[in-house]
Amino acid sequence: MHRTLPSLSATLALATLAHAQAVPSGQDKLPPTQSNGMVAPLPPQGPLDQVAGQPNSQGTTFVTPGMPTMGLRVSSGQVTRFSNEFNPAFSFIIDSLAQVADNDTGNDGADVQLLSMELAANAWVDPNAWAYFVAVLEDESLAVEEAAIHYTGFGDKNRLRAGRFFIDFGKQMQVHVHELRTLERPLALRAFLGDEVKGDGVQWDSWTTAGDATAIRWSIGAFASTLPELDADADPAVTPVNELASPKNGDDFNFTARLTGFTEAGERGTLQLGTSARFIPNYEAQLDGATIDSDLSNTVYGVDATFGWVGETGVDSWTLGGELLISSGDTGVQLVGPNPANAADYSINGDSLMGYFAFAEYAWNRFNAVGTQFSQAELGDGDEQSEVELYYTRMFSEFHRLRFVLASNDSDFNGTSSRIALQYTAVLGAHGHGVNW
Amino acid sequence: MRLLQRLILLLLAIVLPWASARAERSPGDKLKVVATIPDLVDLVREVGGERVEVSTIARGKENLHNVIARPSHLVALSKADALVQIGLSLETAYIPGLLEGCGNPQVWPGGKGFINCSDGWEAIQVPVVLSRQGGDLHPQGNPHMNLDPRAGRHCVKRICDGLSKLAPEWQAEFEARRDAYLAKLEAPEKRWAALGEQFKGRKFVEYHQEYNYFAQHYGLALVANLEVKPGIPPTPNHLAEVIEKMKAEQCDVIVTALWSKNDFVQRVAEATGAKVVELPNMCGGIAGTDTWIEMMDVLHERLAKAFGIPLPEKPAPEAQKPTQKP
Repeated sequence: MHRTLPSLSATLALATLAHAQAVPSGQDKLPPTQSNGMVAPLPPQGPLDQVAGQPNSQGTTFVTPGMPTMGLRVSSGQVTRFSNEFNPAFSFIIDSLAQVADNDTGNDGADVQLLSMELAANAWVDPNAWAYFVAVLEDESLAVEEAAIHYTGFGDKNRLRAGRFFIDFGKQMQVHVHELRTLERPLALRAFLGDEVKGDGVQWDSWTTAGDATAIRWSIGAFASTLPELDADADPAVTPVNELASPKNGDDFNFTARLTGFTEAGERGTLQLGTSARFIPNYEAQLDGATIDSDLSNTVYGVDATFGWVGETGVDSWTLGGELLISSGDTGVQLVGPNPANAADYSINGDSLMGYFAFAEYAWNRFNAVGTQFSQAELGDGDEQSEVELYYTRMFSEFHRLRFVLASNDSDFNGTSSRIALQYTAVLGAHGHGVNW
Repeated sequence: MRLLQRLILLLLAIVLPWASARAERSPGDKLKVVATIPDLVDLVREVGGERVEVSTIARGKENLHNVIARPSHLVALSKADALVQIGLSLETAYIPGLLEGCGNPQVWPGGKGFINCSDGWEAIQVPVVLSRQGGDLHPQGNPHMNLDPRAGRHCVKRICDGLSKLAPEWQAEFEARRDAYLAKLEAPEKRWAALGEQFKGRKFVEYHQEYNYFAQHYGLALVANLEVKPGIPPTPNHLAEVIEKMKAEQCDVIVTALWSKNDFVQRVAEATGAKVVELPNMCGGIAGTDTWIEMMDVLHERLAKAFGIPLPEKPAPEAQKPTQKP
């Protein structure tokens, strides 16, 4: 199981699209009138109730004793292999980009590409749990980004999530790149955590109230790994990777925690403050199978703030925010010798690194918004990198979007690069990832 | 350090879930009600009187399809005994997310405290084909039923039924208040009907499909919508067609809500010479629309003025006050 260090390379992003699940809201036909002149509620109707009203009517396939009954010990015969009444809600996202880039490294020119195609499905498993998966086709390979179940049966405001899912760190690491306001995830997050950080594990999530206008949420998670995946283009002979033990003992699991408060600021403003952490207690740096160093650990802390203001008609809005990040412990691998292919020529960077990002967005109506984001991160050994992005987003409707972006990146390693990009994103179907707040 | 981190995590896991437990309502306590729009707040107060504490999510000037949920909404729903909504997917932009997050199954659809005012309502514009080609379609039909002159009468019945289930000990009181409100509606309904008779056949253009129940009830003639389809902003081609149609049909009234009085409306008004009439789309957005009856009064009066219809005498102020406890 090879994993790269957090990548500093550019990632390309997609769209934030509104979550729109319909609430069952009753019936439209007039119900019978009661003797008192009142309108009586209609009995339940619709496909689900029709099915539920005929218990076992569909039957399972014929089974003999000892053979599996629909794969589970409990079988009420609600579905056959041909039933489609209970199918999940599916969605597709198509994200594409046209850009012109000018880099000091010489990798200049124009390009048009399909950034990714996402397939997602959401469904209730039973009254106490719902599940979803997100698979993404990127660079001609299909990857399962998330596949998790939310168990809500504890009641009140507690929830357990299990499976593979994005870690709960700050506000922007929870979401897929295409859901961001910007073309890319902020540089500081990419530098310290990775383009996307998903893990196989469990997370406990809960919230409570504080007064009438404040909600406080916290989560803790344990994962097999929260290291970013190996870059498909990276050459393992010259690219150090981090590896986690497998199978593991307690020290080898990765942990996340987040505490955040969400309150109202004036008649039309909301303020959210949060703090997050990701712990990797024990990992090993390797180069093509040879150990560079072992018994390493890394912790990334973040403090975030977001302010939102919405005009009185709900049409115009401001959103301002940012996050300060500190990466401590063993923060990376540095080439100190002459030969990049030799593990002995690398050393571990033990300096704490700091980074941050800040953004501002103004939407003058539901369909048009402009914004900017600035991010800076220390890379170790005194080197830094910064990035600024200006964008205009035009929503044609809730389900497709065009974004015009000007972005510039200044790195002590790679010099300056800039680009002009046009991103088009479309959503087909009911899209939503069940994002935390 | 690692041991400390693990101890903190363990402590959080054990202690924190208890902090989020919801307190149960005791018999005799006021019912905590969250209504999705101010119209329903008014109607809940009419039925519930002193037995309810009610708050709203949407506020009078907002676009009901684009309400932004706030922390107080989440907190209120987490503590609520009842949620009162219009339904017909009117509140889809914010209610499903709030319900999912609030952790209070009592107010979920199917729960004891979920009161859906459009139950039993005969919706118009129910789509035959569900396709995004139709814009932001509502599968159960046009959801703006609160602007139908018959809606107050319908909704108080639903609210009375819902509150009575939650607090059977007060059912007789709720029913008496409901009946009192239904009686109070008779005078304004006559007033509206008198104006409405003169609305028949009058032509108008609206920005969004908000006033269709109102139009259908009185036989107003809707010439066009400025939105291409519901929720889809106007395109230049579409606006040109609307202008041409308005001229051809001699339509000189454009109806908007507060949220939709925008540059597109002004452009069409300038091109056609039409009057722009700003109408309430719920209570509270315009002065003098704190109650549903007042809101409907303003709606009728503003439209009548736009059509040049003389207004009847204004009702005595006493008739506008909330119904007193019987």
